[in-house]
Amino acid sequence: MKRRTGKRALAAALAIGVGAALVGCSGGGGSADKGVSLEGGEYSGPDVTISFWNGWTGGAAPVLVPKLIKQFNDEHKNITVKDVPMEWADISAKMPLAIKAGKGPDVSVAHGDDLATYAAQGLVLPVDDIVKTLGYKAEDFPSGLFDASVYNGSQYAIPWSVTPLGLYANTTVLKEAGLDPENLPTDKDSYLKALDKLKAAGVQGEWVDGYVFTGTFEFESLLWQFGGDLYNEDVSKATFNSDAGVQALTWMVDLVKKGYSPKNVAQDGNINALIGGKTAFNWNGVWQTTNAALDKIEWKAAVVPQIGTEKAVWSSSTHWIFLNNKGQDKNKTAAAATFVKWMNDNSSGWAATGELPAKNSVREDPALLKQYPNLEPFMKELEYAHYETVSPGINGANALITTAVNEAVLLKKSPKQALDDAAAQADKILQQNKKQYGG
Amino acid sequence: MTVNAEPTVARNTALPSEAPLDRSPRRRRSVGKARVWLYVALILTALVIVVPLIWIFLTSFKTDYNAINAPANPIPNPFTFEAYETLLSSGQQPIFRWFFNSVAAATLQTVIILVTASMGAYALARLEFRGKKIVFGAIVSTLLVPPVIFLIPNYLIVQNFGWLDSIWAITIPGAAGAFGIFFLRQFFVGLPGEIEEAARIDGAGDIRIFLQIVLPLSRPAIATLAVLSFLTNWNDFLWPIYVLLSPEHLTLQPGLSVLQGAYSTHFGIVMAGAVIASVPVLILFTLAQRQIVDSVASSGLKG
Amino acid sequence: MASTSLAPVVPRSTSSGGPGRGRKTGTAYLFLAPFLILFCVFVLAPAIYGIWISLHIWNPLLPLKPFSGIDNYVDLFTPGSLTFGDFWESMTATGIFTVASVPFLLVIPLLIAVMLNQKIRGGTIFRGIFFAPYVLGVAVIGVIWQYLLDPQLGVVNHVLELFGLPSRIPWTVDVPWAWVSLVGVTVWWTMGFNTVILLAGLKGINAELYDAASVDGAGAMRKFFSVTLPGLRPVMAFVTTVTILASANMFGQSYLLTNGHPGTTTRSVIMYIADQGLAQNQMGAAAAMSYVLFAFLAVISIVNFRLQREKTE
Repeated sequence: MKRRTGKRALAAALAIGVGAALVGCSGGGGSADKGVSLEGGEYSGPDVTISFWNGWTGGAAPVLVPKLIKQFNDEHKNITVKDVPMEWADISAKMPLAIKAGKGPDVSVAHGDDLATYAAQGLVLPVDDIVKTLGYKAEDFPSGLFDASVYNGSQYAIPWSVTPLGLYANTTVLKEAGLDPENLPTDKDSYLKALDKLKAAGVQGEWVDGYVFTGTFEFESLLWQFGGDLYNEDVSKATFNSDAGVQALTWMVDLVKKGYSPKNVAQDGNINALIGGKTAFNWNGVWQTTNAALDKIEWKAAVVPQIGTEKAVWSSSTHWIFLNNKGQDKNKTAAAATFVKWMNDNSSGWAATGELPAKNSVREDPALLKQYPNLEPFMKELEYAHYETVSPGINGANALITTAVNEAVLLKKSPKQALDDAAAQADKILQQNKKQYGG
Repeated sequence: MTVNAEPTVARNTALPSEAPLDRSPRRRRSVGKARVWLYVALILTALVIVVPLIWIFLTSFKTDYNAINAPANPIPNPFTFEAYETLLSSGQQPIFRWFFNSVAAATLQTVIILVTASMGAYALARLEFRGKKIVFGAIVSTLLVPPVIFLIPNYLIVQNFGWLDSIWAITIPGAAGAFGIFFLRQFFVGLPGEIEEAARIDGAGDIRIFLQIVLPLSRPAIATLAVLSFLTNWNDFLWPIYVLLSPEHLTLQPGLSVLQGAYSTHFGIVMAGAVIASVPVLILFTLAQRQIVDSVASSGLKG
Repeated sequence: MASTSLAPVVPRSTSSGGPGRGRKTGTAYLFLAPFLILFCVFVLAPAIYGIWISLHIWNPLLPLKPFSGIDNYVDLFTPGSLTFGDFWESMTATGIFTVASVPFLLVIPLLIAVMLNQKIRGGTIFRGIFFAPYVLGVAVIGVIWQYLLDPQLGVVNHVLELFGLPSRIPWTVDVPWAWVSLVGVTVWWTMGFNTVILLAGLKGINAELYDAASVDGAGAMRKFFSVTLPGLRPVMAFVTTVTILASANMFGQSYLLTNGHPGTTTRSVIMYIADQGLAQNQMGAAAAMSYVLFAFLAVISIVNFRLQREKTE
């Protein structure tokens, strides 16, 4: 029942939203919106200032984003985009209530795992018509990504970037241990062999941590590699405690038990150790390619080794969303659509931020790799990358995966016990989600 | 409930400013050795406090690599302003703005508390009126309520007022606490009544008595409350994390936590942030050390 | 409550009785008004509003907030419910932290205060140094100590290594060390506050009592137990109460230093309530939790008060 109410609210929002006013949409619904002018995707209404929240605070983004926005503002006399960067976690924490209070952004970038929650809560406007206007299709993006922004049959976001996990290697450390930095390990055997050699040289080759960044990402990659999945089809039950899950987590715990990794690694301890030349490998996100601290060492990135039975890797994704603020100004949403279109058209430089542009045509342009050769392995991984689970309220359940990884890696619980406990609690949260948001 | 409500304590102790530092003719014929151990213990404790702070200060001049790789050597080698340059040029983490916001919020809240609490305390301490017991009881009974009770409802109230992401959110709700009025009331009750009575005979009204007699006599208590209010607001962390949204409206405490997230692999930068956040307060504290510490000291006796 | 008494304005000057002793209901409420308005809106109203919220499934982002009676409370006491395990684990975490930190936060400041109360040089300087960390705020403290205590890359372990001591201590990562860190950092941060209050209390003890004790031939120890401690009792009651409440409300330290890990072992109850209410949007359940916590603290405060009073009498 709740869902229907929510849907009706969204339908109403759609009727008055940008979509209808955009060019190329079949008439009728848009007629009410005489005031909003968006011909050819260009907003031509009265001057507006739109607020743009994003989590681009690291790497090259703090320089690049203001530059792009300044360029956009200069080219569009009637639109001023206000850049509001903050931590991703803060966006998730603050944006929902801010939108209900009418204080949220007009446009933002959200991670895949938040989209369904936002949609179910009526925080985002459907973008079916914008998508149609811009002519995007599922094939324009890496497989599986476009679906990650569909909830209950409507498109709620436009893919913008993907950020898979990769294998980072400190090549100086490898060389000192007698390993060939040109031939990074690709599978279980070669990886173990490399770790053994490092161990013999007195180096703990991969520091396994129990935090979201990046122990959880590594666990999820391994889970998929062993043929498992996080949740069942309709996301009503946690399945990360399957045999595949236990195998995945056992692999990580064994690295600790067998001394390939120190015990009790702190948050970010592994990437810091790689930078400091204390370890050789770190499974980390593509965003680290722009970490300035890496400039001072010899390093290389590769696809994550295949430890399990199939190729798989965790990836996060970001998407453009248009917010349904209390009393949202239609002109602002229209201006925001113009901004998104412009950003998409000008996203070739985006790789400088350590994110892969989602749009295939932009990403696969050979010029991009020429400029950012480090991105190559990450691009290769996209064929078999897994993206976020689409289900409202899923983050509450996802948090428990980290709890399980943390407990197992710290040897507090056996992998199976940790995963079973987390899955039992996750099931309760999924049940609550169904109750609150509808199935 | 009112553990500290014994006004006798307040009356019996002298004002902090005139606290007899050592009334003792009981000069202890201290054995020299004991005295040495005393200093050793004090100096060691002081080192435990000071060394980490100095270490952090020095770390902020290290390169990232150096901060990770040579943590046991406090001396930066090479010595670099890299961290400060990055921090100040980023534009995304306006740390001076945060500092200013913190000062503004703490000052505003302190002023509101001083005005409302002193007026209210005057009524509670020096006037007889109907419902006094109920009002005083209601105020006192909230003294021990953990602030978390108000977290969720106040969030919704502040949101309804449209105060999210503004200085009002981090100053007004916090000014409503019972401590200030209770603290001043305890002090006002202990003031001698003679001057006030003389003034009344001269025809002075309550406003004049409040402004010209009670307030000047209560300077030390008011200073104490000011210091405590300022520090409480300055150190608030949980509430501003959730009610402040845009980076330019953050205060220092949540701002630093943002900095830690953004530069998790750049110890130098995070430590530079900590230094920028601490040095001005520490300088202020050093300048006004006596007053601040004396103020806090007296709160235990009055509260 | 205030509004009912606002109506009758009693004539200001009263000839009978001493000055200022007459009834001045109107004037009094005018003086009280600014505070009472704030108090009603941000203390009384939310206290009641919170109870109302706790009786609902209150997700602020959904249009419907169904009434659920006392379900949120029942869940907290029903093993196997969604919130039972996590809530009590976080209550336990807060309990462990409080029990472990309060004794240190009382004894260490007391010892330092006694030392500072001797006739020594530089007493003011020492006092200032001990108090200094308190002005820095929890975020600075968290950031500093996370760096210093990092198990692999941190200063503390490296310095221990130089002295040939155990140097792989997981200060911020695993228990029991995480507790040691949380308590240690809290003591480092706030001990100066208690120290200056206790020191002021010491200075307030009548010197003649010490002289009398000396005449009776009491040594330093006996003086401490028979003069100093009893003399400090009222101040100690205040410090104890304030310290217990502060420890029970711990949030920033575990949020910044341990992030609640390992697992969720060091997640304090405030951290859990904030997460449930403001991040997971389960405001009804979170409000119920805060009232249960309140009930606990109220009981502890009453017990503490009784104990202190019995001793004093």
